[in-house]
Amino acid sequence: MQRTDEPAEGAAPTKAEEATEAERAVVVHPVVAHPETAEAADSDSDSGDGDGDDSGPTSWPRHWPLMLLGAAVLPGVVLFAVGRWSDEPAVLAWRTVCLSITVQALPFLLLGTALSGAINAFVPTRVFTRLLPRNPALAVPVAGAAGVVLPGCECASVPVAHSLIRRGVDPAAAFAFLLSAPAINPIVLTATAIAFPGSPAMVLARLLASLVTAAAMGWLWLWLGRAEWLKPIARHTGHRPGRSRRHEFRLGFQHDFLHAGGFLVVGAMAAATFNVLVPRSVLDTLADSPWLSVLFLAALAVLLSVCSEADAFVAASLTGFSPTARLTFMVVGPMVDLKLIALQTGTFGRAFALRFSAATVVVAILCSVLIGAVLL
Amino acid sequence: MKRPLQALLLLLSGLGLLHATVLTDHYLRYVKKGMLPFLIASGLLLLVLGAAEAWSLWRPRGTGEQDSPDDDHGHGDDHGHGDAHGHDHSTPPRVAWLLLLPALSLLFFAPPAIGAYTASREAPKAVTVTEQDEFDPLPTTSPLPMTLTDFTRRVQQDRDRAIDGRTVQLTGFVTPDKKGAGGDDLWYLTRTIFNCCAADAQFVKVRVHGTPPPPADTWVTLTGTWHPVGTLGTGSASAALDVDTVKKVDRPTNGYTDALPPPRS
Repeated sequence: MQRTDEPAEGAAPTKAEEATEAERAVVVHPVVAHPETAEAADSDSDSGDGDGDDSGPTSWPRHWPLMLLGAAVLPGVVLFAVGRWSDEPAVLAWRTVCLSITVQALPFLLLGTALSGAINAFVPTRVFTRLLPRNPALAVPVAGAAGVVLPGCECASVPVAHSLIRRGVDPAAAFAFLLSAPAINPIVLTATAIAFPGSPAMVLARLLASLVTAAAMGWLWLWLGRAEWLKPIARHTGHRPGRSRRHEFRLGFQHDFLHAGGFLVVGAMAAATFNVLVPRSVLDTLADSPWLSVLFLAALAVLLSVCSEADAFVAASLTGFSPTARLTFMVVGPMVDLKLIALQTGTFGRAFALRFSAATVVVAILCSVLIGAVLL
Repeated sequence: MKRPLQALLLLLSGLGLLHATVLTDHYLRYVKKGMLPFLIASGLLLLVLGAAEAWSLWRPRGTGEQDSPDDDHGHGDDHGHGDAHGHDHSTPPRVAWLLLLPALSLLFFAPPAIGAYTASREAPKAVTVTEQDEFDPLPTTSPLPMTLTDFTRRVQQDRDRAIDGRTVQLTGFVTPDKKGAGGDDLWYLTRTIFNCCAADAQFVKVRVHGTPPPPADTWVTLTGTWHPVGTLGTGSASAALDVDTVKKVDRPTNGYTDALPPPRS
């Protein structure tokens, strides 16, 4: 979807395909005709990536069975070799952690991409204009509070926010939703209440700090954000007349899932590396200074990439740290972590992901410290 | 990324998930039991997506298309949009290839559950965070089956010292102690607990005295009494056990919870 912004590329294959299409009606090799054009579009975008190793637009029919075979066999062989060679407990632990983050996140990622596909194909644009206030500054807190309705962890919110932007929702409002949804939904708040028995203030503090951070980031985007940081996003018009909604839904869903899934694996690998290289027991030594411990737990939240439904339990286990530091851990975690940075890089572009994540960490720390000081 | 490969990727991911849930119970090594329905649904969904993609590629576009409910538009129209779509939606970045790793890993090389390696590097989970004042009297069965968490609580928080002199029965896996203080063969009986997935694993540990350690990651059921270190019933008491008997057991299916020892056979 990130390639739809290049009209020149889109136009050329269209003509080519129309030509092929005309021929196809007469000549009978329909199976070849279509993949060829798909390949044309494909290699166009590949060369846009900068590593154009494609042999050419016409290589498709000859090479694809080979590539298919290679794709099926090669990784298996490599994995087998690696698997035999490395029965090292550290490598096994790394693979377990990596795989478990992926497996845990997959259903939520599917939910998110299905929702985003559905928003794209089935929800008329007027719904958004009616639900959200016209004024973007007002739409931001409304969208932030609307995060309550998306039950799940943070992986689901990135594709949904993306499809909201594609449907013309102001980016500031979509970002507020992106940040608040994984932190304030009922499942996460319930988990927090269970993890901190007898301190409802922690749940309230988490809710407030997350909402305030989300709204602040939305407003910050309105104030300072520049559209060019975002990877150009195709303005999907949603359902187009004359096209099957189901077909649109399936293709959008599939594309978003493959796209986000790849980045999810990147994030899971990074988090697993940190998890295995740095045992948590080393970290408890830093609990003494109140300010350092806040910064430190914020960094830990980014690096550990624990799912937002579980981070309350991890926070509860960090007993050496002050309540404010633990609140910071729970506010930063769902908004910024390695896995999310990878997902956002894939969806919105690196220029955006880095700036946005850095700013979010700062704002989230400030909000948690302020609200923690008042409530905890 | 070519469309047949996308279909393949989706199918493999779906198969991987179903293999780990329906055919085996590998998923229990990575996530909680409650995820089972979601994982199966995800696996099926991915299979359906992959099959739909494969089907749409395989069927002859020129003829089958017009009949299918998917394409209720004219032919020329189809192409204007069809290409926009091909361009729009068929080209996920190369990073999508990485999905092959978890898919193949689940299918062929499922890594083992988190175990002694990680446990030996982590501090024991703080099970006594919440202060428990009221303890029910202990049942009179002997040896008394307990969870590691319960045992730790009894040792460190029960002012009535009901645990004193009682023979208890605990099940867990073996985590050798790296430091090996004083040449003494010390090791930990360990249970892994996690709340979401294996990435947030925490460990409950009970130090074991009086018997050489079995190989790491072996599951054992121990009987024994509290090993007196510190003052029983206060935080200074250490969760430790003087062992009478060691019996190897199979890894329980609920290996990621701190459950009671399985009933004696």
